[in-house]
Amino acid sequence: MLSFQSSKNVLSLTEDLLVRIYELLAAESDRKSFRLVCREFRRIDTLTRRHLRVIRIEFLPILLRHWAWGLKSLVLSRATGLRFSGLEMLARACPCLESVDVSYCCGFGDREAAALSSAVGLRELNMDKCLQLTDVGLAKIAVGCSKLEKLSLKWCMEMTDLGIDLLCKKCVDLKYLDVSYLKVTNESLHSIASLLKLEVLGLMACPLIDDVGLQFIERGCPSLKVIDVSRCEGVSSSGLIFVVRGHRNLLELNAGYCLSELSTALLHQMKNLNHLEVIRIDGARISETSFQVISANCKSLVEIGLSKCLGVTNMGIMRLVSACINLRVLNLTCCHSITDAAISAIAYSCRSLVCLKVESCNMITEKGLCQLGSFCLLLEEIDLTDCCGVNDKGLEYLSRCSELSCLKLGLCTNISNKGLSYIGFNCLKIHELDLYRCTGIGDDGLEALSNGCKKLRKLNLSYCNEVSDRGLGYIGRLEELSDLEMRALHKITGVGLEAVAVGCKRLADLDMKHCEKVGDSGFWALAYYSKNLRQINLSYCGISDMALCMVMGNLSRLQEAKLVHLSNCTVEGVELALRACCVRIKKVKLFAPLRFMLSSEILEILHARGCIIRWD
Amino acid sequence: MDLKERVCGELQKEVPKGASFTKFNTQHQQKWEDPSSTSDYSTRIEPPFQAFNQTSQTQSLLLCNNQIKVPMQDGSVNDLLQASKIQDWDPSAMLNNLSFLGQKIHQLQDLVYLIIGRKGQVLGRPDELLVQQQQLVTADLTSIIVQLISTAGSLLPSVKQTLSAATTSLGQCGEFGGVVFPSSAQGLNDGVQPQNAGGSKVSELPNSVDITSNNGNEQSNHIIEEHELKDEEDAEEGENLLPGTYEILQLEKEEILAPHTHFCTICGKGFKRDANLRMHMRGHGDEYKTPGALAKPTKESSSEPTIIKRYSCPYAGCKRNKDHKKFQPLKTILCVKNHYKRTHCDKSYICSRCNTKKFSVIADLKTHEKHCGKDKWLCSCGTTFSRKDKLFGHITLFQGHTPAIPSDEIKAAPAGTSDGATNKVGSVNFNLSYVSSESEVQSSSMDIKGGIDDAVGYFSPLSFDTCNFGGFHEFPRPPFDDSESSFAFLLSRSCNYSQKSGEE
Repeated sequence: MLSFQSSKNVLSLTEDLLVRIYELLAAESDRKSFRLVCREFRRIDTLTRRHLRVIRIEFLPILLRHWAWGLKSLVLSRATGLRFSGLEMLARACPCLESVDVSYCCGFGDREAAALSSAVGLRELNMDKCLQLTDVGLAKIAVGCSKLEKLSLKWCMEMTDLGIDLLCKKCVDLKYLDVSYLKVTNESLHSIASLLKLEVLGLMACPLIDDVGLQFIERGCPSLKVIDVSRCEGVSSSGLIFVVRGHRNLLELNAGYCLSELSTALLHQMKNLNHLEVIRIDGARISETSFQVISANCKSLVEIGLSKCLGVTNMGIMRLVSACINLRVLNLTCCHSITDAAISAIAYSCRSLVCLKVESCNMITEKGLCQLGSFCLLLEEIDLTDCCGVNDKGLEYLSRCSELSCLKLGLCTNISNKGLSYIGFNCLKIHELDLYRCTGIGDDGLEALSNGCKKLRKLNLSYCNEVSDRGLGYIGRLEELSDLEMRALHKITGVGLEAVAVGCKRLADLDMKHCEKVGDSGFWALAYYSKNLRQINLSYCGISDMALCMVMGNLSRLQEAKLVHLSNCTVEGVELALRACCVRIKKVKLFAPLRFMLSSEILEILHARGCIIRWD
Repeated sequence: MDLKERVCGELQKEVPKGASFTKFNTQHQQKWEDPSSTSDYSTRIEPPFQAFNQTSQTQSLLLCNNQIKVPMQDGSVNDLLQASKIQDWDPSAMLNNLSFLGQKIHQLQDLVYLIIGRKGQVLGRPDELLVQQQQLVTADLTSIIVQLISTAGSLLPSVKQTLSAATTSLGQCGEFGGVVFPSSAQGLNDGVQPQNAGGSKVSELPNSVDITSNNGNEQSNHIIEEHELKDEEDAEEGENLLPGTYEILQLEKEEILAPHTHFCTICGKGFKRDANLRMHMRGHGDEYKTPGALAKPTKESSSEPTIIKRYSCPYAGCKRNKDHKKFQPLKTILCVKNHYKRTHCDKSYICSRCNTKKFSVIADLKTHEKHCGKDKWLCSCGTTFSRKDKLFGHITLFQGHTPAIPSDEIKAAPAGTSDGATNKVGSVNFNLSYVSSESEVQSSSMDIKGGIDDAVGYFSPLSFDTCNFGGFHEFPRPPFDDSESSFAFLLSRSCNYSQKSGEE
């Protein structure tokens, strides 16, 4: 962070210099501090801002007043109350808008799409899980925003071949198209094949697509670089052979869970994919010779996904990494026969390894981690969940990887505060840490963590029984924390929760199921301070009627709540709490007998609002 | 020519059947009152009448008619038949036709004389007889006029060729069938040659049953709706006949647009279907009641190699016109009729429901009316479609067109953010501010600069934050109360906590 001797010096800097300084600030938190220095600095931010991510939609008009003119990219993901009239205004106010993300906006339907389609300059649009969107809305977008290059339609379940066909005819510049999870058929693939510029095609879990459709892709999409057909039930290796045969320059092939076996015919075709960088064949049976073929031909391989593959052995991995030295991402989840030998080979060969997933590989010990800590200094993400061989010593070796940002140690029961303190001391960039059921972890470990890992955003402390209010006090120092799971911490009380609520202002997701000792004072604090809370699990908590109403009514960003087995709550209390939040809540989980005890009125209101109730 | 005999025959019939006299007349009255009505007789009623056995009594009655008719028939009518076989227009044939018409007019004159002369004799029922005679005269005049038109139409060389083909194909499609000229010529033959019982022509004639007993039933029971029999103008697009392998026939506009194509030569009533004409003929005498006369004209041509006949549209410049470079012939006369009406005529039938769609073929209107109002797929250009894929095909085709979202939904939508739910919440006295912000949403046309403060409601229909209840600096802990009155504490914006801006 920059600091200045006096305000005079600051003012003496010209505007363009300030802009250049501002542009050098990478982290969002630093930029925020910059903005808060003075009005002049804030103006710099206003001038240069091109990107806006809105968490609380009610501030959008005010925010737009400052930034609308130059705004190019806007993220409105998960916004409630986003309606077409507002979007119409938005599209008018932001003439330079190029990228919009409205994913997970449950209210986004055809009319909203029509409003958005007046932003003619739009190049990127993410409409994932806009469940109300139909072909008509897509047609509006396709006709209005013909410059569209990137479009994601995941989980837009109403979409059919007609919409996709129209899209492919109107938006011929499309480079990125994701139709994952849609019930589209081979007809859509026929239309998609006509897109000359398409580079990335996502077809994940499209149940109606089969090998015949992939034949269209073989002959079309001349620019195709990335294709994802994972979890497509109808696709077999012959379909993949079509794709591979038609696109020799393929960079990424994702075929997880759609192959039973990496067949020799497919392997033979894959020999031609000399540029292939990413391949995922999760769940397939693979032989040692296959590794030989892959390593001999796909030398530029950067990522390989072998999650739950049968037949992955130490020898196979050794053969693979002997040639593929550029590997950066390696997923060996549930490849149970992997031992330290394979890890050592990986560490030795792939010096630029960034991500390693070895969940449930029980035979990995501190020796393997030692090799990783010695050679793979660029490692950012490692998943060691359920690797019983990991201990404090191993973590000490691992902590040499100072770039580490994501560390998963769930079910590693052999680690203690000591091991965690190595991490807290050395791995300052960690933003995700999973300590699920690490029963050896206590308050001291969290203290070390909170001292070092200031960037922590996601933390799982579930079933770490030793953690008490003091530990949560340390957690409260983590200002960036947005996601906290702390199930069944029996020692914590309202004091601890208050510390978290006050300290972690960004907290969006809180799971405190079975934290039975937490009293109302903690929930009061939560209701006041955690304004950004989006998701909460209060099941089996001792929350009272009053506090529940407070929490549900006051947290204006809350969208999802699990409220099962609230022993201190009455039916009236739950009813009132639901009434207080009914305008914004999207999902709620309730105790099944309440179904007949709550008034039909509130249930109707929730239903009319599109809220999904799960009865448990 | 035969009118005189016709009247005589009727009178003869009437005399022995004195009891049914009145009934007979009234029936005819009913029928003639609407000579242009579209009441059709289905071909379905044929089988029972084929099985009908003539009685000898009726045959004896026929005898006297035939004797009188014979001398009249052989001269003019044979000429007419010959004329119809001649390829090109023959002035002498025309002359024959005209003289034939002249004869008819003379006979009409005779009839009128007869009426005048008879006035005194039938005093018993003067009114009814007079009415009947008036009807006869009118019908005959109509017949003469029609025949005059068709004679004029016969100036076209190709039409004469259609004579036999048209009538056979007419029997097939059962509707419109023919052209004015050929069918009326056929009608003439029918009327003129009833005595040639063994001849091939006569076998095609409808048998005649006592019309008084059947006419009424048929009208009510056997009405075929016109639109059931639609042509296949489009279906034959793919037909690949080499030029020259078929014969091109072209009808004139008047013929195409003539409402009826089969005319009774006795009374002149027009019909759309030959079968219906045959049914009608039964009323004119027992000679039309033979199984042979009632039978459907058999396809004699099937045994012989026939020349394929195709039709040309008379409209110059039309693709269906034989002079067009890429001439595409029409398959049947029905196709010609529908094509001509659809393409070259005014669309005079307007849908009574939507008042926008117009049609020139009534069958099209009826088809449309079946679906009118069900078109839920609307384009921004105003065109409606009954099917989504049709709309999307249209949008693909036209630049800038988009599917339109029905406007009634638009009105509902602003309230949709809290529709129903708001009201319900309001009804239990949750007087939260978002209720008021709803009203602001309605004014949709505001510019960003001026209206942005009001526009909070756009983005947050649930603006808990916009209301300021004030005054709570601590966590309030009122005793829990079931009633809603203590609910305000939930909405505390002004506690010691500086509101964080939502932007990141």
